[in-house]
Amino acid sequence: MTDTPPTDDTSRADAGAATLRPASPVRRTAARAARASVSVIWAVPIIALLVTMALAWNAYTGRGTLVSVAFNDATGITPGETELRFREIPVGRVEAVRFTHDLQRVIVDMRVDKDIAAFIDDDAEFWIVRPEVSAQGISRLDTVLTGAFIEGWWDNEPGTTELAVHQGLDRAPLTRSNERGTWVRLAATDASGMSEGAPIFYRGLQVGRMQDLRLAEGEESVIADVFIEAPHDQRLTTTTVFWDISGFSVSLGTQGISLNVNSVSSLVQGGAEFATLSSGGQPVQAGHVFQLQPDRQAAENSLFAASPQDELRLTMLMTDAVRGLTEGADVQFQGLTVGRVTGLSVRVGEQAGEVLQDITLAISPQRMGLPEDAGPEDALAFLDQAVADGLRARVTGAGFFGTSLMVELVDIPDAPAARIVTDARPYPIIPSAPPDLSDISTTAQGFMARIGNLKLEELLKSATDMMNSVTAIASSQDTRAIPESLRRTIDEANVTMTELRTATQELRASGVVENVAGATASANELAGKLNDVADRLPQIADNLETATTSIRDVDFGAIGASIQQALADIRGVLGSDAARNLPGRLGEAMDRLGSAAADIGAIAGDLREGGIAERVTAFMDEASAAATAVSEAAADVPEMVAEVEEAAIAVEEFDFAGISASAQGLIEDLRAMLGTEDAEQLPRNLSDTLQAASALLNDLREGGAAGNLNAALQSARRAADQIAQAASTLPNLSLRFQQLAARAEAVIGAYGDRGAFNTETINTMRSLRRAAEAFGSLASTIERNPRAFILGR
Amino acid sequence: MSRPDGLSDDAPVLTAHRAGLVGCRSCGRVWPEGTDLCGRCGARLSQPDRRSLQAVWAWWLAGLIFYIPANLWPMLRTQSFLGLAGNTEATILGGVIDLVHYGNYGIAAIVFVASIVVPIGKFIVIAWLARVAGKPASIEAAHTRLRALEAVEFIGRWSMIDVFVVAILSALVQLGFVASIHPGPAAVSFALSVAFTMLSALSFDPRLIWRGLPLRTRRDRTAE
Repeated sequence: MTDTPPTDDTSRADAGAATLRPASPVRRTAARAARASVSVIWAVPIIALLVTMALAWNAYTGRGTLVSVAFNDATGITPGETELRFREIPVGRVEAVRFTHDLQRVIVDMRVDKDIAAFIDDDAEFWIVRPEVSAQGISRLDTVLTGAFIEGWWDNEPGTTELAVHQGLDRAPLTRSNERGTWVRLAATDASGMSEGAPIFYRGLQVGRMQDLRLAEGEESVIADVFIEAPHDQRLTTTTVFWDISGFSVSLGTQGISLNVNSVSSLVQGGAEFATLSSGGQPVQAGHVFQLQPDRQAAENSLFAASPQDELRLTMLMTDAVRGLTEGADVQFQGLTVGRVTGLSVRVGEQAGEVLQDITLAISPQRMGLPEDAGPEDALAFLDQAVADGLRARVTGAGFFGTSLMVELVDIPDAPAARIVTDARPYPIIPSAPPDLSDISTTAQGFMARIGNLKLEELLKSATDMMNSVTAIASSQDTRAIPESLRRTIDEANVTMTELRTATQELRASGVVENVAGATASANELAGKLNDVADRLPQIADNLETATTSIRDVDFGAIGASIQQALADIRGVLGSDAARNLPGRLGEAMDRLGSAAADIGAIAGDLREGGIAERVTAFMDEASAAATAVSEAAADVPEMVAEVEEAAIAVEEFDFAGISASAQGLIEDLRAMLGTEDAEQLPRNLSDTLQAASALLNDLREGGAAGNLNAALQSARRAADQIAQAASTLPNLSLRFQQLAARAEAVIGAYGDRGAFNTETINTMRSLRRAAEAFGSLASTIERNPRAFILGR
Repeated sequence: MSRPDGLSDDAPVLTAHRAGLVGCRSCGRVWPEGTDLCGRCGARLSQPDRRSLQAVWAWWLAGLIFYIPANLWPMLRTQSFLGLAGNTEATILGGVIDLVHYGNYGIAAIVFVASIVVPIGKFIVIAWLARVAGKPASIEAAHTRLRALEAVEFIGRWSMIDVFVVAILSALVQLGFVASIHPGPAAVSFALSVAFTMLSALSFDPRLIWRGLPLRTRRDRTAE
């Protein structure tokens, strides 16, 4: 067996071509066939290669464009996971995060879909979206679970970018770059009520937002950019005013207390509202600067105020420290607000130890009545001229109680010459006048001072003098010679006094000045009549003299008895009860005058206590009535004089001839009588009597009584004048008190059922309830569908 | 497959081919050369020549081509919380590394062996077999080649374990909102790669292993 195979093998090997041939041709043929017809099986790897290459190529070409954005930090960004979204649709993915060369910022490399990447140009904005809890609510809660993502915004214009690295924003922009609207700027003295993203309202509707708060360069204000969406930006004109609506405001005004609460978010976040309160403004250009006013009232007041750069700045230096002047206080000119106080500081004066209060004023030229295009220079020139004519800046009280202060540009007629220091720095210095601070306390003080200045003492003194004169008259012996009619006069005076007292209680009406005038006229009339009396008294004296002469011509003996009888009559008269009662009645009159004076004193006391106007009026009426009564009484005096005259004439016409016959018998008796002491005493008595009468007549002629009365009346008139003067200021005061009362009533009324305060409070409560309901429904929604909460749906 | 029976190593190996016979690759019955169809199973009879290696190489190449993206692309796409908590995409090697990081060395080893060592070993073995097929060889070498081929054929189906895992996970882990797993593009590539390597192994005609034996015996004899 061992041999056979070699044999076999050898035979094969030897035969070679013969035995092995069958194999070889087959193999060669196969190889050739393989070479000739490349088997279809090779299509498989080729197809595989093509497919793979196609996939690879597809993956390569479709992997997007690399966009790099630099952020301050990369919170929540994970390479390979964080998405770039455009309108909430993922359009790319973060590929890598790296630092800038200076390690100051982080560069995020993102693969952005090719078709979208074409739109990313230089204006594209990128920001990181994270969950945010703010006053306006919680937003992007979904990013708590998904992690932050990058949001991009770009317009629909394909563009190219030369930027290797885009600059990312720190926070989401308030507005899309292609949103239509107008950017304006808002300037305020401080940032209260302003915050990033704070809403801007127009008639309570949110139409914009503010952002990018910053300090203005070189000016004492804060600037914010405000975007007003179209079409609301058409509402903006150059006369538009903005005011702060943050928080709530409580104002005590003429309509009572008003409480304004806008929305809870504006409480926390602030916000502003604008309105165009006057027509005629031009449409604003982007970047127009508006002044943010503290409230609507101020905004309305500032309606015509130009923008800050057009205002004239002035400095006002005050040597007297004034408390209560605040920034934003009004500057008034001719009673109109033309500007405001923008700064208060202290400046060391030129003299040693002198400290000046430095008040900066901003004045709008337009509000001062200058033309629309007038600038600060025009206003300065105008003011300079006005200052040369006596215009001064002065701090004065303002407001209801005069507690707040304002600056007033007012003409001081006798002011020392001064000019505006136009080259002063930082602002021209306008000369100032001493402050005019009159608040209610000083007004009241002035009123009391005027009451105190009423010449009551003088009045009393005059009255006392009058009383003294009356007493002197009464106590003088001459009074005893006053005939019965005088007593009647006094009786009538008594009646007058009584009437005066009753009139005091009865007459309470107005018409003071006329009455005073009437009283004065009556008094004058009275004085005139008294003068007439005085003028006619010499005539009486003459009559008496003639009578005496007649008597002298008469045989003494005949008439002695008659005369004695007459004298006895006269003595009887003088000794009569009436005459004896005269002093008592005078005393009574004095008492009544005294009580009248006491009444006057009481009235004065009442005046001091404040129930003034009516009483003064009443007093005036009473005085007038008294004067009328006095004049009525005076009307009786001529009658009395006429009686005296009649008496004298009667004496004159006495039938002395008839008497003499009958007297002759008497004279005989008288002779006998003359021999007695009585007879000797008779002529002396007669002469004494005549002397006293003439002295009385002299006194009366000298006008002592009338003069005293005149003086008294004059004093009374002066007093009345002063009271009238004082009274003339009273209507103002009473009007003020009336207004105060009305306001107080309104204030109290405001708290009533339908009061504004209540309404506001109820509205606030309703808002809170709605908020609570919203929270409740949110809670129930979450309860029902927690997934929705997590997903933010 | 015809195998020489009762022959020592020194004995000349008689193969069916050498005996002028052609074996049926389907049922193993040998027929005289020139027969076209197997009389028993009806399979087409073909001569064991290197021509069939073209198919081996073609399938091998296709498998290799698909094996590259299978390793570069993600095998699994894990989505939890609807993608809110992030999508995880894992390549084969990345998964192994993750498993090692998690401390699952055993599973890491299984995945590594099943997904990387075995396929690459298959490529190497098939390439080697195809390269040396029909080349002179000793009987031991021929037996080694045969065992290698059997191992490749046996192990080939287990290479699909990765694909099965992905398929099962994709089918099972569809928890909607919480988590879901989707096969990545690498799964298809890997499946194709495994399928092509299996086809490649199947295309290899084991009769070519024995084609080189006579030369060895002749060399042995000349050495004697």
